Amino acid sequence: MTDEMTWIIQAQHGDSESFTLLVEAYQTPVYNLCYRMLGEAELAEDAAQETFLKAYQNLIRYDVERSFATWLLSIAAHHCIDKLRRRRFTSVSIDEDEEGQTDLPDRSAPDPEQETVRKQEKDRLHRLLQSLDPIDRAAVVMRYWQDCSEIEIARALKLTVPAVKSRLHRARKALAELWKEEPRHIRTQRRPYESPAF
Amino acid sequence: MNHRPFEDWLLSDEPLAPKQKRELQAHLQACTDCASLAEVSLALKSVRAASPAEGFAGRFQVRLEAQKKAMRRRNFWGFSILTLSVVGVGLWLTWPVLKAALQSPLNLLASWLSYLVSLWASLQAMGHVSSVLIRIVPGFIPIYVWLVILLAGGGWSLVWILSLMKFAKNPQGV
Repeated sequence: MTDEMTWIIQAQHGDSESFTLLVEAYQTPVYNLCYRMLGEAELAEDAAQETFLKAYQNLIRYDVERSFATWLLSIAAHHCIDKLRRRRFTSVSIDEDEEGQTDLPDRSAPDPEQETVRKQEKDRLHRLLQSLDPIDRAAVVMRYWQDCSEIEIARALKLTVPAVKSRLHRARKALAELWKEEPRHIRTQRRPYESPAF
Repeated sequence: MNHRPFEDWLLSDEPLAPKQKRELQAHLQACTDCASLAEVSLALKSVRAASPAEGFAGRFQVRLEAQKKAMRRRNFWGFSILTLSVVGVGLWLTWPVLKAALQSPLNLLASWLSYLVSLWASLQAMGHVSSVLIRIVPGFIPIYVWLVILLAGGGWSLVWILSLMKFAKNPQGV
């Protein structure tokens, strides 16, 4: 039996210390999903905490034959989708990084210019993500940040596999359209032929 | 400009053959739409995951404790209100009896005894009637009706057991 399974079983019997170990193991994927979905560090922190509370309360209903990560991400994605549906997201600060602080380029990095470009690109992608439909956004984050398969995304978001494929396809095309429309001065210096497709 | 098959190649995430790579590279030099798609795909694949601020698990423990405390407080008040309501309604309903018991306890005891005796006699009479019916009724009802009743009961039990098994197998869902 893996450590994770041991913690899950102990937590199912009410051991909150074991559940805290699960929180430590999964805090980054859950927080990252919430951050990409909601766009702000403070909201993401709150949503990630709520996700773990919901998971703790419903742990007895968790089917041990399924992936715990997918189950957690499913709770996080639905929580964020509900939040986004309840209020219209108006604007997202691009000056915030993951810790909610000003995202200045690292001047001590070997190539500060490249570092600046990398940060601009990250901010830009983060901003463009907010323009997607919440479910499409969740699918993109799960696919690219959490490396989930289309089957796992389908299970987590309660969709069919063809629907997931279609949403990912549509989302990437929409992102590319927006990417093209952005002003050239913040475009990355990376050449498209550096794409992993090559 | 025709984006096929370049767009499909960019969206499929599958590795390309050397000839396909050369063709795609040439297309990307000329097509801004596909170049944007390639840039987005690259950006999606290269961006790092965001991490929460230090002490996330500690903050979770504090929140969990606060929630447990709030739940205990809610349960305590809920139980107290329920208990008081039950006691109040019970007193209100039994007040006439209590009043009679306080005024003349012997009379109340005698009326209860007489009630119990009549109840016992009624139950005995019902038992006699039931035993007579059990002896007579099977003669009136044909055998196939019994079979239909048995089959219907068996089928209903089977559906019930299968449903229980299905729900026990798939308890997932939050």
